[in-house]
Order: sequence, then C-alpha cells, then structure tokens
Amino acid sequence: MSLFVAENLFKHFGGLVAVDHVSLAVEPGETHALIGPNGAGKTTLLNLISGLLPLDAGRLALDGVDLTALPPHRRVRHGLSRCFQITSVFANDPVFDNLLLAAQARAGSSFHCLRRRAAESALRDRALALARKVGLDEVLDRTAGALPHGDQRKLDVALALAAQPKLLLLDEPLAGMGPEDSAQMVALIQRLRAETAILLIEHDMDAVFQLADRISVLDYGRLLASGDVAYIRDHPEVQAVYLGTEAAA
Amino acid sequence: MNPTPSRAARIVPWALLLALALFPLVAPSLDLDYYVGFVRHGLIVTIAATSLNFILGYGGMAALGQAGFIGVGAYTVVALVEAGFTSAWGAWMAAVVVTAAFAAAIGAVSLRTRGVYFLMITLAFSQMLYHLAVSLRIWGGDDGYGLHAPLELGMGLGGAQGRVLYWVVLAVAALLFAFLNRLAVSRFGYALRGIRDNETRMEALGYPVYRIKFTAFIAAGAVAGLAGALLACHHRFASPSMMHWTESATLLVIVVIGGLGRRWGAPLGAAVWLTLTEVLKLYTDYWHWPLGLLLILIVFLAPKGMAAWFDGRGKTA
Repeated sequence: MSLFVAENLFKHFGGLVAVDHVSLAVEPGETHALIGPNGAGKTTLLNLISGLLPLDAGRLALDGVDLTALPPHRRVRHGLSRCFQITSVFANDPVFDNLLLAAQARAGSSFHCLRRRAAESALRDRALALARKVGLDEVLDRTAGALPHGDQRKLDVALALAAQPKLLLLDEPLAGMGPEDSAQMVALIQRLRAETAILLIEHDMDAVFQLADRISVLDYGRLLASGDVAYIRDHPEVQAVYLGTEAAA
Repeated sequence: MNPTPSRAARIVPWALLLALALFPLVAPSLDLDYYVGFVRHGLIVTIAATSLNFILGYGGMAALGQAGFIGVGAYTVVALVEAGFTSAWGAWMAAVVVTAAFAAAIGAVSLRTRGVYFLMITLAFSQMLYHLAVSLRIWGGDDGYGLHAPLELGMGLGGAQGRVLYWVVLAVAALLFAFLNRLAVSRFGYALRGIRDNETRMEALGYPVYRIKFTAFIAAGAVAGLAGALLACHHRFASPSMMHWTESATLLVIVVIGGLGRRWGAPLGAAVWLTLTEVLKLYTDYWHWPLGLLLILIVFLAPKGMAAWFDGRGKTA
C-alpha cells in the first residue's frame, strides 16, 4: 500500500487551472521528485498537499488517514511536514530558538504560560539533536536571518524535521545555492531518506537524478508522466517540454 | 539564549513597587493627596495598555477595540450595582467573565481577518458596543451611570475607594506585569510571538494558530474588562465615552511610545502619556498641540518605544 496518495487534485484561480486533476502516490521510503517548467503548478500542488491552499476537488491520504478536510496543523500531526521554496524561518531569533519553537510544536501543549520554557531540558535536547542532524550545531546563537543562505535552507529543513514526518515535502531545497552548499544539501537529503519518505520539487536535474527513486513531471498543471529515472530520462514528451530546454540552455 | 538580567533590571521592579505601595502613606504629608488618585488612574490605564501590548506587541494583532472591552467591564459593574449587588470582588470577577465572553464572540469573527481588516473589524465591534451603551436608558444612556456608594471589599477592608482601592489596583497591575513577564518566556509566549513573526510557518510547524490567537484575544479582552471594572470604581461612574474609539486609539499611542512587545512598554507609555497631559494642562488650555509635538519627538527619538532605551543596549532585536 502506498504511504501517501493524492487523487484527482484540482485547483483553479479564476479562469486559470493551476492544478488539473493530478494524482500522485509516494511509497514508503521512497524519494519522489516532482519536476516541471516554471509555472507548471508544482508549488501550488505542494500548498494543496500541505493544506496552506484549500483544494477545489480531490482527496489526500497519508498512512491510511484521510487528510482532505484537515487544516494544515492537523496534517502535520499526522506526519506531513514541509519546507518552503522561499526560506521561511524566524529571522529575528537565534537558530536555537527557531529549533526550540519547532520542537515545542511536536512535544506537548503550547498553552503552558507559567512554566519557563528554558527549564525544559527535553526540549533543548530535541532542538540540539535537530541542529546536529542538519549541521547547524556550531551556529546555535547566531540570528537566523544573518546566516548564509545555505545555512538558512538547512534551518528550514530542520524546522520541518522537528515534526518527525512520515512524508517530508521539500520545495526546491537547492534553489539559489552554490555548488558547495548544493553538495551539502544533497548529502543531507540522502541521509534523510533513511527516516522519511520525501516528495521533492527541484530544478537541479543532476540532484534529481541522484536522489529520486521515482519522478513525476508536471506541465501546465497536468501530470505528464510518472516513472523511474530511466523512464523519465528517455520519455520523448518530457524531453520536449523540460529536459530538452534544459539541455539547450 | 536569554541573557541573565542585570542586577538593576531585577531590583527596579521591586523598588518601583515599594515606592508605589508607600506613596499613599506619604502623600498627605507632602501635600500630594490629589496625586494618589492620579497614580491610581495611571495604574488602571497601565492594566488596559498591558492588555493591548499583549495582543498587539506579543501577538501581532492590531486590535483597535480594547475600549469596547473596557466598557463591557465597566457596565458589568453598573449592571450588578443596579441589580443591588455590592461585592467588589464579585463584580470584578463577573466583569472578567462577561468581557471574556464578549471577546470570544468578537474574536471568533474578527480573527478570520488580518492586518488592516482586523483593525477595522475590531474597531467596528467596539463602536457597536459604544452605541449599544448610548441606547441603554436603564444604565443612563448617554449621560452615564453614577455609582452612589463604593462597592464592598469585605474582609474588614471597607469600601473599594481611596487608598484601599489604590492598593488593590497596584496589586492587580503588579501581578499582571509579573504574569506577562513569565508568559513571555513560556511555551505560549514563544508560540504567540512565532505567529506574530511568521504565521504561515507556524501553521506548517503544526501549531493550532487560530486557537492560540483566539486564546490570546480572549485573555486580552478579559484583562481590558477588568481594567474597565476598576475604572468604574475609580471614577464611581461609567459612561459610553469610556468605550469611544478614541480611547482605543489613545491606548494604541501609549503602547507604541512605551514600546510594543516590551515588558516596560505599557507602564512606561502610560506614565509618560498621563504625566504629559497632566502637566501640559496646568499651563495651557490648548494642550493638544504641544502634546502632539512631544509625541512626534518621542517617536523620532525612540522608534521602538521608550522601553527600548533600557533593554538590550546595542542589540538589534
């Protein structure tokens, strides 16, 4: 049985159909890449899956739980967590506070208002573990917004990992990165594959071919093709709309 | 991650509390009797401003309707007095509960909007409450309602008036100050500021964002209601003008000049605002324009509020 199933997802903005009856499945342990030209509807699809945008039609299920009617935060509880294409961290706070805030969301109620959070050593341990996992444990006291771009991306991933997701949604984790940062991020995603299934949007085809078990191609909101790396690489239509332009560029 | 507060920062609140507690005792010998009432009023305004600082400064919700909740609190006292009820504690408690219920109803609608829309809708609700109060003939309508006798505190404390009321108000203000400081470093405080700074990310982290904002909104409303109940006892009078939108705007100015989202923001803002208006009124009937000039000056000198002068020197928050 698939870990995650999306059936006939549909979304339009006025007359523009952004996501046109897309169906998608992610198997347990799988890294599933979603590629397509700019404006193909990839990020919209991710917003529909994470619940930040309401669906017009379709159905979502993760690990047997129907997520369709759940608000975003309830989907996170059920194991669906995401990163953002435009880095979304708490820029004015130190890295450690960012991680504590993420850890706190998962560990118990956030309605305590008399106990000092700093006294909760379990929370600190979790935050520290997250920092180690993505390699930010040397910069815990730095203000998040002042970190180099690559480190902010890592922090964004760490925030999503705090939820201990069954399915992690990554929206262009390599966007705007130099070769060194990219290599680090690819290595990080490689490590994460052991603990969670991943749905990955990425433009860097080298990274996609390295990381993905399966690839789905989106074009004008429709699913063009879905299959393993070799299948997609040799798919004539995919080459025409996407890989071809990349090779030509 | 939290710098340990300096010695001065730990002593100042206690010293201030002691000074304020002793003030009514020494005031008569200094011929400052009038100012006991002035400070008492200032402390009540501080409580009201604290409720706005909580919702706006910590929660990022630009509410322009706190005066409406102040009015609900005051009129709860009026309604109970009209019904023959005399216990001060009971009336204040009731004011908190009733205002919380109003805040829940108004919040349930308002919190579906954000930013300027939220500001406008909270303003609209408070104006509705204002006009409701004007139309309620049994409680005096436009003329307001005078409380002929002070409410009873019991426990041998007598009526809720004079120095005793002063100390009760001081205790409430001090407890609220301490509570807010603790809340700021609690899970709820961090979550609330997280929502203020990045609501979408908080949603994606799994926070029940709406429920957290709703809780904060009700708490802020209830505190404003308590301030209103105390204000009714302070003036021994309640009128619709307490809930006019300009009162909400005044609170907004107090919190902004004091320091949004800073623990000394509300007390400092209230103290400076009330002192300025009081002093300027001594010199001129046309006190509004020099006040305006001074406010502009303050905003230029302390763009993050005057409280920012005292904490985190050299630190950009």
